[in-house]
Parts: sequence; structure tokens; C-alpha cells
Amino acid sequence: MFNRQHIRNFGIVAHIDHGKSTLADRLLEHSGAISKRDMREQFLDDMELEREMGITIKANRATIRHTYKGEEHMLNLLDTPGHVDFHYEVSRALAACDGVLLLVDATQGVQAQTVANAYIAVEANAEIILVINKIDLPSAHPEEVALEVEQVLGLSADEAIFTSAKTGEGLDELLAAICERIPAPEGNPDAPLRALVYDAKHDPHRGVVSHIRIVDGVVKKGDKIRMMAAQTDHLVTEVGKFTPKMTAVANMAAGEVGYLFAGIKTLVDVNIGDTITLASNPATDALPGYQAPNQMVFCDFYPGPGTETAALREAMEQLWINDCSFTYEPVTSDALGIGFRCGFLGLLHMKIIQERLERESDVNVVQTAPTVTYQILLNDDTVEQIQSPSEMPDLSKIVEIREPFCRANIIIPAEFIGVVLQMSLERRGEHVKTEYLSTTRVMITFNFPLGEIIYDFYDRLKSFTKGYGTVDYEVTGFSGGDLVKLDVLVNNVLVDALSVIVHRDKAQFRGRRLVSRLRKEINRHMFEIPIQAAIGAKIIARETIKAFRKNVTAKCYGGDITRKRKLLEKQKAGKRRMKNIGNVEIPQEAFMSILDPGD
Amino acid sequence: MASKHGLYVHLPFCETKCGYCDFYSVPLMDRPTSDLVSAAIVELKSRLNKGGSIRTVFVGGGTPTVLPIEDFRRFFKALGEGLQGHCLEEFTVEANPATVDAEKMGFMVDSGTDRVSMGAQSWHAGELATLERLHTAADIEPGVSIARAAGIRRINLDLIFGIPGQTEASWGESLRQTIDLGVDHISCYGLTYEPGTRMTAAKNAGRLMSCDEDFELGLYRQAIATLAEHGYEQYEISNFARKGQQSQHNLIYWRQEPYIGVGPSAAGYVEGLRYKNVADIGTYVRWMGERGEAMLDGERVTGADRAGEFLLMGLRLVEGVDLDRVSRSCGLDVLGVLAERIDRMADLGFVRLEGSNLSVTAAGREVADGVISELYSALDGRCEQTVSLPVLQVPRSGD
Ligand SMILES: Nc1nc2c(ncn2[C@@H]2O[C@H](COP(=O)(O)OP(=O)(O)OP(=O)(O)O)[C@@H](O)[C@H]2O)c(=O)[nH]1
Ligand code: SF4
Ligand SMILES: [Mg+2]
Repeated sequence: MFNRQHIRNFGIVAHIDHGKSTLADRLLEHSGAISKRDMREQFLDDMELEREMGITIKANRATIRHTYKGEEHMLNLLDTPGHVDFHYEVSRALAACDGVLLLVDATQGVQAQTVANAYIAVEANAEIILVINKIDLPSAHPEEVALEVEQVLGLSADEAIFTSAKTGEGLDELLAAICERIPAPEGNPDAPLRALVYDAKHDPHRGVVSHIRIVDGVVKKGDKIRMMAAQTDHLVTEVGKFTPKMTAVANMAAGEVGYLFAGIKTLVDVNIGDTITLASNPATDALPGYQAPNQMVFCDFYPGPGTETAALREAMEQLWINDCSFTYEPVTSDALGIGFRCGFLGLLHMKIIQERLERESDVNVVQTAPTVTYQILLNDDTVEQIQSPSEMPDLSKIVEIREPFCRANIIIPAEFIGVVLQMSLERRGEHVKTEYLSTTRVMITFNFPLGEIIYDFYDRLKSFTKGYGTVDYEVTGFSGGDLVKLDVLVNNVLVDALSVIVHRDKAQFRGRRLVSRLRKEINRHMFEIPIQAAIGAKIIARETIKAFRKNVTAKCYGGDITRKRKLLEKQKAGKRRMKNIGNVEIPQEAFMSILDPGD
Repeated sequence: MASKHGLYVHLPFCETKCGYCDFYSVPLMDRPTSDLVSAAIVELKSRLNKGGSIRTVFVGGGTPTVLPIEDFRRFFKALGEGLQGHCLEEFTVEANPATVDAEKMGFMVDSGTDRVSMGAQSWHAGELATLERLHTAADIEPGVSIARAAGIRRINLDLIFGIPGQTEASWGESLRQTIDLGVDHISCYGLTYEPGTRMTAAKNAGRLMSCDEDFELGLYRQAIATLAEHGYEQYEISNFARKGQQSQHNLIYWRQEPYIGVGPSAAGYVEGLRYKNVADIGTYVRWMGERGEAMLDGERVTGADRAGEFLLMGLRLVEGVDLDRVSRSCGLDVLGVLAERIDRMADLGFVRLEGSNLSVTAAGREVADGVISELYSALDGRCEQTVSLPVLQVPRSGD
């Protein structure tokens, strides 16, 4: 059994792109876990999409060996995603850690997710080692950045470690700090087994692999284990470590991190956050688990051209088995037919799930514009949650519509305070405070309705601040607002999938934007098409698509019919990407046009 | 081979290239034309030898009348000989008002030509200049006279509307002048900006303003009304004729009857096979020499695709399409497949279904592209699709 005193469990956290995965590369390389020949950048990002997008989506782990002061240490490292949508992934991962490396880019300084991730680490009670990375870059100013962190997060600048994940500079010092400063895991190998399931994946050949951290006791192949929450028993067929390949070991004891196979078929049978114990000698108390991730963004997926509902359903089930961070349930839309209402952690998450669906199952998805959840207080004092504007109850029954709020930290160079305040107020932001991180950079805190910032706030912020601004937010709760449902009528037919919930003050503006956007998206037809935005029975915006006549009387040369037929074939193919509503063909893209930024 | 065919011959030379034209034709300059004429004669003979009878002929291009006199004579002589023994209902040659003369007209008539189609396009000098036409308004009347003097009774004049700068008055004038010539057939085409033409380039570069769509529609309505007033009945979206003077050859295309195509870029439809010749004079001549034919590709159009063709061509005709005939010929229940869309469009006032005859109404003709596209796209996947044949397959004869 490995000496528990020489085990270190730690995560690497940072703002997006500050170099977590690259630092993990260096650590893997340094320990000889991966030969130079096998090395590729961001080695742990093994999902195709992660490699393509250059970002980490799932937390990844690896176990490496490192000799420090003559003693062999076992370092269990976890590379985490930086994007705000995946904070739950970070907090989940950190529950299996005793320390974190908080990376900060020496050229960019503290960013919004630096702050958010540092808080997650504090909450997880993890020892934080401040690492200032990318010191090889000419524009790096590591000392200043360290001071900034000290100012914002209260971590001592003197203890910061300077590294370059690119050149490997500072790596020895970092490894020393890991061994010195991160505490060895606590836990009693002789107590009844308690292992935390902090993640699980589905392997098509071998079933579910549970990622576990042993808190107490020992587990080995052949043990009969019990899931404490699920109250199911399973026979362990393999235990092992990520080196970073899955490598079987004889047993795992308190303090260790690794994986376990126990003949479990589907992810539905494994609750992440559950505690594993031995059926023969069960522990009395389970470990504190996790809160299930909270889906805040919803949209509908409908089968696109050439895809049957059944195929889409199968694809969703398949993906969900791999990644239960999203939810889905069947819905029917007048406009789009039978599909699925899906819940996501954020917009990036939504895009990733859609992309994975289409890629991994070869289905075609028509997606409606995302919306947040609303709570509707009804006149019988009950509260209904709706995940789509089309679920809005009859106006006469509604006492109040409540929308989700969040607290957002925005970090920007001080010169942009004016524009950012302006744009935040336009989005109904409520200013909480402004703090100077240094003489040139500030962190502004706002309370926002989630719906105002979730879609495009980040992009807008980036463009208003020449790329320097970052934002992170956390949902705080629901609160009432003067909200209305804005409907869209195309050729006098209400298209349910185009309705949105907006603040009354903005309804007029949004309505006008929406109809003008739709006018561009919808092709001209043989007849005039009115497009209207309405609140209840009141029309607040209107545009008309003129009838289409083009080319009717073109000279019809000789017998070259094939060319004309090909043209019609093309149009026919185009029509397949349309939904026919009230005699009007609406292209799929139009259903997303609601997303158009408001300014 | 029992069925009667149309014959189309494409002679791909023009004096200069008009600004809007995307037909396959090349400016004559000093190009030799004799190789092409010889090759076309070879193709003509070989196609006529496959049997079948010809009932209409259309010689177009390009501008057949620009051929140098020797080649012109040789070609029409061969054509006339080839058509010996065929019982022709109509024999049309396209002529340019500026290049037609009595001598050439004589050769045409000798070969059997009984109808001439001329591109008048406009009687307005500025509009003709915009179109980059070679002829002037003053050439039109003499052109018609030359034809008449040679004994041609049936004459068509083409007109174009929607020309930048055109007004209701100038269009009215073009219509009136054309009517005054007493021709029996008038075609009115809306100007289109085809990719790759000089006018399209000018428009894209902002040097030319295309005419407003609603205004253009007004001109179209003006033409329909004016021509009706003078006894020209609209029988197709762009075609108007005095009683009994419809173009029999063009009706073949619109009614999906068989025709033979000869010459570069010419298309043909023989025994269910659609083919198209290569659109390049040099290649055409070489292929004719090497392999005795010049088809670039061919496909046997069946099922829904075939039904689509019936609609896309037939609905241009005021008479419409007999869907029972289409069903029989394509082996699918076209009326059943289209019922819902037909209903929808009948409600909108665009089509009319009488028995099994589907036709487009006057209102529908103004948006005919949309109507056809709408119906066409409903013909979907319910039956076998067109089989594309390997390049250069020769149509079978006999059957
Ligand atoms: N010059 C330099 N570039 C670095 C360094 N560390 C990382 N990079 C580069 O920074 C970019 C982002 O690095 P990643 O390791 O993918 O960053 P990450 O923090 O894992 O990003 P997410 O997983 O998306 O949150 C890559 O292009 C790296 O090559 C460094 O020390 N110096
Ligand atoms: S004369 Fe006819 S074929 Fe020749 S360029 Fe002009 S429009 Fe085209
Ligand atoms: Mg990463």
C-alpha cells in the first residue's frame, strides 16, 4: 500500500486559456508518464471537440509519480475546465482534492474566472498554490500580477510560483511546493470503505467506469460494494489509476484517487456524489455528496431535415448516458412538431451538446432560441416553473412573473468603466460595487436578470473592451419583474416557437428587431407576408415581406430543361430545411433569430 | 419509331455578344465556321437516320444568319435535303434584323423555312444600346420586309421588358410598333441578369440599376392588355399569338414531347433520354469527328423527376397540364401527391384544377416560378428517381 503521507491530490484551476492543460502536459512529461514521442498539446483534452475548440470541457485526471527529497510521491492531478458553464464540474472535481494550483496568466492578470475558481477552491477547503504562468512571454509582468492576486484574493504574492507551461521553467519549484504545501489526504485505511464517486463515464465495451476518491478503507478487485444512496450492490471487476491511461492496480486505499469497474451498465445506475462502501462491512455515514448541476438555459431540439424523431431520441439517450449534465424531455410545438426540451448549464454547454449530438449520432437538429427558466406566481398562490415562453399560462391567471437573477463579476481595464456601466444598465443590471484590482484594472459587481446576460453579454463585453473584459456569474435566485410575453405572427399565424419573454420596457424595441430580423430570414413568397410582433392582442411591430416574382418571364430557351430542373431541385432541397407554418416557409435559422443582440 | 419529333439546330455564332446573353454563342470575328457547319451536318444526318419523323424545325443559336454565305447555303441545303419526306408543320429560323438579307432568306425558303423569329427586343435606341444589341430600331421593319418578300408568312418578334431606363411609354411604343408590323406572334421576355454576363457585372458593380420589380410587373400587365386588345392571345407566360399561330415547335418543349437537338450545347429528348451536347465548338467538332456524336451527358428521367418536368414546362402554358397524363407517364399518382398543395394554391387564387387539368391563373402567372417550385418540391421521394447515365451513352434506336 502506498504511503498515504506521500499522496497529493490537487486540481489545476484558472480562467480560460491561462494554461491549465498545458501545465498538466508539462507535469505528465516531467514525471515520464508520457514519452516525448507520445506527447501532444493539451494531452488530457481527449474529446474530439475539446481538441478542436482548444478548451477543456470535462475535468480530466492523471496520476504521476515524482520523487521529492528521496521519497516517491503519488500526485493525482485534475485538469479542470475554465469556462463559466462548467463551474459545477470544477467544484465536483475539487471535492476529490486537497489542494489546487490557481493559475494566472502573467500577461493578463486576474480574470473573472480566476476569481470564481478561487472561491470554489476556498469553499472546497483546498490549499491554494498561486502559480503565475506564461512568464516566457515578453509582455509578462508576473510580479505585478502576483500583487494583483494578493489584492483581490488575499493570497500572498511572496508565495507565488512563476512558471512557463510552455518551456517548463519553474516546474521543479512547483513540484516542490506541491509536495511541501499541499496536505496529504486524511482518512483511515483501516476504517470501513468510503469512496466518493466524483465522476463517471460510460465505456461502450465495459460499461460504467466510476471515478473515485477513497476517503477511508481499501477497495480491491472482487470486493462486493454498495452504493450508499442508490442502495445497490455490485461486484468490483477492476480498480486502477489514470496514468493517464487507465491502468489496473491491486488495490486502492484511503487518500488515493482512481477508477473502478463494477459491472454497472448505464450511467443512470450511478449517482455522482454517491458513496461507495463494502456490502460486507458498510460504513455508517455517507460522505457529503454534490448538488446536481442546475440547468438554467433551455431550448428545444427538433429533428432537422432527414432526421426522424425516433433517431433524435436515441441520440439524446446515447449522449445522456455519457454526459448527464443536460436534461431533456419530450415537447410538442405547433410550429415544429415533436421534439425535446433540453436544459443546459449555459450557452457554451448548449452548443457543445448540440454539436456532440450531431457528430456522435449523425442526426440533424433544429434548435430554438434558448431561454431561461421563469417562475410564474398564479392567482391560486401556486408557483409554476416554465422553461419555454410557449408554456406561459393564460395572462388572467398570472399574478407575477419571476425571472432568475445572478451576481456577475466583470473585470475590465479601468478605462472601460463608462461603457461597461452603460451596457450593464441597459441590461437592467443593478450596480453592487466597483473594486480596483490595481491602478488600471477594476472588478465591477452587478446583479443582473440572468436572461439579460446569458446569451451575448460576454461577446458584447469583449467587443466593447477590445477583448480585455471578462465576466463570471453565479445564479442567486428568482425575483419578480415587469415581464411580458412577446409573440410573433407570421402571415397572421402565431408561431409558438418564436415567442420570447422580455421586460416590458424593452418589448417594443425587441419586437421591432425581431420582425426586421425575420423579414431578412424568411424568403419572399408568392404572396405578401405580414410579420408582426404582439403582446397579447396588441400589435407592437410589423413588417411586410413583398411577394416574389423574379424571373417568371425569362426567355425559356430551347429544350434545356435539365438546367431548370436542377434549379428546382436546389430549391426543393432548400425547402427541406424549412418549416411550413401558415403557408409560409420559415428557415431553421429564423428560430434562432430571437437571439439577435438587442443593440 | 412511331413518334413525331421536333428538331432543334444550334448554330453558335453571333456578330457580337449582347450584354445580357448567356446562351452558348461566340462572336464570329474572323472565325472559320465551315468545320462547325460540317460537323453539325454530320450530326444532323446521323440523328435523322435513326428513324422517326420530324414535324417541327427550329434553327436557332446564336444567330444563324451571321454565317458566311457559303456555309449558310451549304447548311440549309443539307438541312432541306435531310428533311425530305418528313411532313413538317412548322420550320422556323432565328434571324437578326441586322444580318438578314434577301439572298440568305432565299436559301432558307428553299430549304423549307416557313417561319422566321427575329429578336427585335425594343424600338428604343437607348434601350437597344443598354442591351448592347447590334441592330437598331430602323433595322427591324426592313428585316420583316425581306422575310415577307421571300414569301415567309409567319413571323415572330421577340421583345424585352424591364430594361433599365425603360418607361411605360417606351414599352408601349415598342409594343405598338411591333403590332403595327402585323406579325402573327410576339414574345415578351422580362430581362434577367444571368451570371457571367456583362450586364450582370455592370449591375453588380453599381453601374447599372435594374428596374424595380413592381414596375416590371406593371410592364408585363401592360403587354398582356395591349396585345389582347390587338388580337394576340396569351398562350404561354411570355408568348402571344394570333389565332392558330402558336409556335408548334415550342409547344413540343412545353408539352414534353420528343425532340432532337443538333449542334454544340443543343439539348434533345428522345425516347425518354435527355441529352445535351458539349457547349464548345472545338470539342464539338472533334467529338463529331472522333466518335460521331457530341453528347456531354444524358439522363433517363423517370418518376417524380419526370413529373416535375411536366409541371415545370407545362404550367407555363395557359392551357395547363393534364395530371392524368402525367400520372400515366410517370407511374405515380401525381394528383394524389399534389392534392394538398394544389388546394392551398387554389385558395390563394394561383391555380385552377378542372377535372384532371391543372392550370395557372392570370394571378398565378405573375408568380409562376413560385407556384412551380412549390408544386415541384412536393414531388418527393415517393417514387424512383432519375437515373443518370454514364457520360456519352448513345440513345437506343428502335423500340
Ligand atoms: N507562451 C506560453 N503559452 C502558454 C503557456 N501556457 C499555455 N500557453 C498557451 O495558452 C493557450 C491555452 O492553453 P491551455 O493549456 O489550453 O489553457 P487552459 O487553461 O487549459 O484552457 P481551458 O481548458 O479552455 O480553460 C495555448 O495556446 C497554450 O499553448 C505558457 O506558459 N507560455
Ligand atoms: S444575338 Fe441572341 S444569341 Fe447572339 S448574343 Fe445576342 S442574345 Fe445572344
Ligand atoms: Mg484546458
